[in-house]
Amino acid sequence: MNIAREPLLDLKGITKRFNSLTAVNNVDLQVLPGEKLVIIGPSGSGKSTLLRSINLLDELDEGVIRFEGQEVGYVTRHGRRHLDRPKAICTLRAEIGMVFQHFHLFPHMTVLGNVMEGPLTVQRKPALEARGIAEDMLAKVGLSDKRDVYPATLSGGQKQRVAIARALAMRPKLMLFDEPTSALDPELVGEVFDAIHTLAVEGMTMIIVTHHMGFARELADRVIFMEGGRFIDQGTPQEFFGNEQGNERIKNFLNRLM
Amino acid sequence: MKYILGRAAMALLFLCMVAAPCLGGDDYDQLFRRSSDLMAQGDLDGALALLKQVPAPQAGADGSAFVSSRMQAARIHAAQDEVAKAQADCREVLKVFPDNSEARNQLAALERAQRSRWATFLSDCLRFLPSLAKGAMMTLLLVLCTMLVSPLGGLLIALGRISRFRPVSGLCWFIIWFFRGTPLLLQLFFIYYGLPSLGITLSPMTAAVIGLGLNYSAYLGEIIRGAIQSIDHGQMEAAKAIGMTYGQAMRRVIIPQTYKRLMPPVGNEFIALIKDTALVSTIAMVELMRSADQLFNTYFNVTALVLAAVIYLLLTTMFTFIFEKIEYRAGIYEHR
Repeated sequence: MNIAREPLLDLKGITKRFNSLTAVNNVDLQVLPGEKLVIIGPSGSGKSTLLRSINLLDELDEGVIRFEGQEVGYVTRHGRRHLDRPKAICTLRAEIGMVFQHFHLFPHMTVLGNVMEGPLTVQRKPALEARGIAEDMLAKVGLSDKRDVYPATLSGGQKQRVAIARALAMRPKLMLFDEPTSALDPELVGEVFDAIHTLAVEGMTMIIVTHHMGFARELADRVIFMEGGRFIDQGTPQEFFGNEQGNERIKNFLNRLM
Repeated sequence: MKYILGRAAMALLFLCMVAAPCLGGDDYDQLFRRSSDLMAQGDLDGALALLKQVPAPQAGADGSAFVSSRMQAARIHAAQDEVAKAQADCREVLKVFPDNSEARNQLAALERAQRSRWATFLSDCLRFLPSLAKGAMMTLLLVLCTMLVSPLGGLLIALGRISRFRPVSGLCWFIIWFFRGTPLLLQLFFIYYGLPSLGITLSPMTAAVIGLGLNYSAYLGEIIRGAIQSIDHGQMEAAKAIGMTYGQAMRRVIIPQTYKRLMPPVGNEFIALIKDTALVSTIAMVELMRSADQLFNTYFNVTALVLAAVIYLLLTTMFTFIFEKIEYRAGIYEHR
């Protein structure tokens, strides 16, 4: 996997503070194209904040984000950091798909409408083309038969699969999953896991923040354990879940989950 | 004048002299006076009892006191809304004097009054309807214009209020503060009577639409702001995450979800608007209230006001049903 390649995403010195709390503390991270990264860690460890700062939903206090080698998101004007122009930020977000814990489907649009929305409104594709893309994506997550219903009629697992399809319809280069299965009933986790697994097999670059160890074990190229806004440890799943080595805190954390 | 009074007094004196023997010592004049006194004191039953003491005259005798007493009784009964008794009084007179015109007229008037209360009301309604309908059309036009203008104004004010650009949010705050904080009547007066002194003269219709439009924009602005801010924050994030700009997210995602929540309070406002249009009658606009007022002042006829109330109720009922329909349609995606 370690072919010398330019990282798709390169984070340097990422720091995010909420008042006195430092949620993410000087984190560096490189993600290679096609890499599947799983970030685990206790609640409040800064995993979600890190993820959200990548597509600029949270504004950073310090740090540099490079996407495909280009510095993105922030400009320096009169010696002060500012968020880049809205247009530039939107362009970046359009290339990074995101899936939320609570789905956030658009309730007033049908399933197909949700998935079409990105290509239609953001990429300004003709309705017919957007519809074609949306139908392909729905087929990919196995929900073609639900295309014309409203999200209110779907189960949690179905909603999350629609949310994945909605993100995929933008043809993103990177997918961010923010605890994609945490809001689901246990029996519905499988279908969402399978959808993400399919995506991983196809070679999508993804960062998954999760409490679900199945992702770390079966899907990850690299697992990162985060606590207190820092990376405590990282390694392959084999290294990580092997009992012999490893950090005491990580073991405690894993034991609590098992 | 003095001459006529003198003659009348003499005639009265003569009458008394002639009538006195018939009374057998009792004086009818005295009796009428006492009954008048009782009436003045409010004792109508006592007055009626006295009047009934006057007997029917013998054939060929003078019956004027009898006729006077019964007609007075009929008037008292009529005033008490005892139409049947009043009619009986008149018939008593007609039994003795079938040709007495006073009793006949009274009887006819009583019958007409009784028979035609509804007919009168209906004919009044028909008489007033054309001008009231004209006024109602004006009211409706005013309401529709304001309904067109104020949601747009309200949306601008709402978006301005949640803007992070301080001058804009400050200005919108000020607009809401001013138009909610002063009486609509005063605003209308200012626009119609006050602006001409600044060189701006408006027609009553324009002034009314501007006044109502601004006022209702301010109210709707707060309602719309509340509805926008009540939408789950995740919706905005999800919209941004697929690359939408703030404007696209508002237009495509946030605002469409506010429609259902907006309908109940906005319906309320628009019902209030229908009634508030009555205020523009003060700036020389002839709408429904003004029409009703004019008719009432011309004919002193309450029917005009009743009819206006019915028309207002029809308008508000109509809009209530329309709003319910729209609310249902707007929330259709929430039905499982």
